[in-house]
Amino acid sequence: METDIRFTHQAIVEQCKAGNASSQYELYSRYVDAMFNVGLRFLGNTEDAEDIVQDSFVDAFNNLNDFKYESSFGAWLKRIVINKSINHLKVKRIPVVPMESHEFHLAEEEPLEAEATDIEKVKRGIAQLPDGYRQIINLYLIEGYDHVEIGEILEISTSTSKSQYHRAKKKLLEIIDGM
Amino acid sequence: MDNFEKHIRENAAKFDTHRADSAKMWANISAEIQKKEPKVIPLWKRPMLRIAASVVLMIGIAAVIGLYQYGSASAETQYASKELLEIDMYYQDLVSYQVQLVKNNPNITEENKAEFLSFMDELDAEYDVLRKEMRKNLDNERVLEAIIANYKKRIELIENLLHQLNESKKPNDDYGYTL
Repeated sequence: METDIRFTHQAIVEQCKAGNASSQYELYSRYVDAMFNVGLRFLGNTEDAEDIVQDSFVDAFNNLNDFKYESSFGAWLKRIVINKSINHLKVKRIPVVPMESHEFHLAEEEPLEAEATDIEKVKRGIAQLPDGYRQIINLYLIEGYDHVEIGEILEISTSTSKSQYHRAKKKLLEIIDGM
Repeated sequence: MDNFEKHIRENAAKFDTHRADSAKMWANISAEIQKKEPKVIPLWKRPMLRIAASVVLMIGIAAVIGLYQYGSASAETQYASKELLEIDMYYQDLVSYQVQLVKNNPNITEENKAEFLSFMDELDAEYDVLRKEMRKNLDNERVLEAIIANYKKRIELIENLLHQLNESKKPNDDYGYTL
């Protein structure tokens, strides 16, 4: 099953590697909306999201030979978009993690159990999160990365990712509760 | 993972609500790709060409190494065969001059000429063998001596022949004078 996912669109990807323009457009059409939404979630405005997604597609097509089907093409492309988005935020000095001194919070994390919540409420809740909280919530809940992957993306340790996520989730639940 | 998280992850697609300005972005992307396209890198990334390139490279390296070794070896041969070269230059002219003399001499019967030339051919064959030996045993004194002996034998042969001719003439002359 996993192999099937990884080799989705293999034929098109191979044609793109060979430089076939119509295949490139086909691949682009399949992924542009999803990637635009990813960019928008991280960057918060249309212009930046468009720029980042354009850049990501250009990079992806130029470096397509580096894509070896270790993941699906979509996952590979999404990682490019997210990495570029995070870099963009860092350049603009927008915090990508809640606090600088991540290592000081000890094991005071009480388990945080919550029930399924209306998606629309969650959306509005995420929109109200302060900078830094939003990224880790997006990465974990919506993009579906685990803490090891988030650690790589944000250049933090796995345990920091866990505790920061815990903090962000707590904040999100508070916002939703207050609605 | 609690129900809150599960519910969001399962409905992650519901967060993709925005649509990208696909045509505008593609125009920018394709312009960028075309700009970079003449890099021709993909050609080299094709497996067959990679193999071909490595083969060419290996042949190239082998040729360089071979040339280097052959070059140094031939320098040695050149040095070692300097003596041979001198010997050749000295004797070859002498021998060929005398062979020509014999060939052009009207006083020698065709039978004698053929016999003489067959001797010469035998010595030529021997000489070729010695030269080959010389290439294998660089700087071998005995081979050099054998080559010289080969030349000397030829000269001796010619001298003998010419001597015989002169001898056969002499009695006539003496006879003439004694008369």
